[in-house]
Amino acid sequence: MSADLLDARAHGGRARMSPRRRARVVRGVQYAVLVLIVVAVAVATDWARVGNAFFNPAAARAIVGDLPRAALNTIVYTLAAFGVGLGLGLVLALMKLSSVRAYRIIATGYVEFFRGIPALLVVFAFGYGVPAAFQIRFDSIVLQIALALGIVSAAYIAETLRAGIQAVPKGQVEAARSLGMTSGQTLLHVVVPQAFRIVLPPLTNEVVLLTKDTSLVFALGLFQNQYELTKVGRNALTGVEGGMTSLLAVGLVYLLITIPMSGLTRWLEKTTGSKGHV
Amino acid sequence: MSTAPATPSVPVASGATVVQITDLHKSFGPREVLKGIDLAVAQGEVVCIIGPSGSGKSTLLRCVNLLEQPTAGTIRLLGTEVTDPDVDIDRVRTHVGMVFQQFNLFPHRTVLANCTLAQQKVLGRSKDEAEKVAMRNLELVGLADRARSVPSQLSGGQQQRVAIARSLSMDPALMLFDEPTSALDPELVGDVLAVMKDLADAGMTMLVVTHEMAFAREVADRVVFMDDGMIVEQGPPEQVIGAPLQERTREFLRRVLDPTHLRPQGDPAGEHVEP
Repeated sequence: MSADLLDARAHGGRARMSPRRRARVVRGVQYAVLVLIVVAVAVATDWARVGNAFFNPAAARAIVGDLPRAALNTIVYTLAAFGVGLGLGLVLALMKLSSVRAYRIIATGYVEFFRGIPALLVVFAFGYGVPAAFQIRFDSIVLQIALALGIVSAAYIAETLRAGIQAVPKGQVEAARSLGMTSGQTLLHVVVPQAFRIVLPPLTNEVVLLTKDTSLVFALGLFQNQYELTKVGRNALTGVEGGMTSLLAVGLVYLLITIPMSGLTRWLEKTTGSKGHV
Repeated sequence: MSTAPATPSVPVASGATVVQITDLHKSFGPREVLKGIDLAVAQGEVVCIIGPSGSGKSTLLRCVNLLEQPTAGTIRLLGTEVTDPDVDIDRVRTHVGMVFQQFNLFPHRTVLANCTLAQQKVLGRSKDEAEKVAMRNLELVGLADRARSVPSQLSGGQQQRVAIARSLSMDPALMLFDEPTSALDPELVGDVLAVMKDLADAGMTMLVVTHEMAFAREVADRVVFMDDGMIVEQGPPEQVIGAPLQERTREFLRRVLDPTHLRPQGDPAGEHVEP
């Protein structure tokens, strides 16, 4: 009797299709819709025009000479800003973990402030506001950019490092301290090496974001040899050829910088991983 | 081989008191975990602390090397009052080894480096000397052949033995064990207990929090039964485990030795079934 019941339930009711059969039909419909859209776009597009706008050889030739210098500038600005951000971020992270409440409050205030305002505002501040207000001139554009972007990214890096340090189990600290190591030795030899592995992926992410944020310095008055990628791409827009080609070219160079970074992280994670090093 | 040479700076006479705990109190917020503990451990003595979970055993142990700050009372370690804020606790800790339930080996370093790190950084030993001491102690725990492994390649029992070797490499005058076998698979417990027994036989002063009644009975010079933040009863193992004077001790031992409560109880007063 129970077998009959099961049979009636499996095949009976109003549902004529089994769930698995229905899922297959739905998937088929989704493929059909995709094919229809692709065909429609391909037919409707004026390919000659697209080719001219995106892959214009003349526009590409006009910009290609500027790209290496701009790419180098982008990398230099990124590294300089990351240096400032990492140093300041480490100080802020330690302040956030400090047993002194005033330090924690200051660090939290800093992080909330610079995470909450647009980076472009800080770039303007260092480009025009600070020099005007304090009557100083930055001799080095790299320093100016490193300070502006580094101060912003320090807020993000501080949070990343704090989380990494806190992710190291408390037992590690207790083991080190019970062996007589001071809190400084414990931090240096036990906590930081383990935290480093934990923060590596989010820190790479930070460098990628920073690479893209260097585009904000186009708002500063730069000399031609100081142009970074976005500035070069933007200037080419108003050139004779115009079109999308220059932006596409610049975008590709950004990818050439950012994508290998993920590879580098994976490699670093592997080499600092299983092998114990003294 | 005779282990536990006290470092020259802290001479410990045979039979001298290594730890002297007086009226120790510890509170976590409003909750008082230790309610006035008095306990002394003599040179070469092995003291096992038993008792139900939450009775304050681990907290007591962690107070001895100041991983927990006592709320009140005094602790004298090797003649130094460690509760005095002027005492350099880092120096005192170099004379006290501690073995944790969760091993707490440094996962980013090899077994050998785990044993040499503090020797080099804290005692200022050369790399060669530190490695020699480490290898001697790894040999003692039977893991000299795993010196180049990293902790994740070892079983729990092996990791715990490395943790013991790491502590021994500092030449401690006292070893603290905080439930060293509680996180181990049953078949791995024996190796760790065997190492601890060797250590006790070699004359190491040991304070051991444990649930291993057979170990306490065989190795301990004295067993301390704690409940609710107080020492209820202490004495030689034959007394505390074999013929306890206090009803609370009897009840605890009944539960530990017969966890299922399936065996009929001789004493009707002890008819206590966990829900």
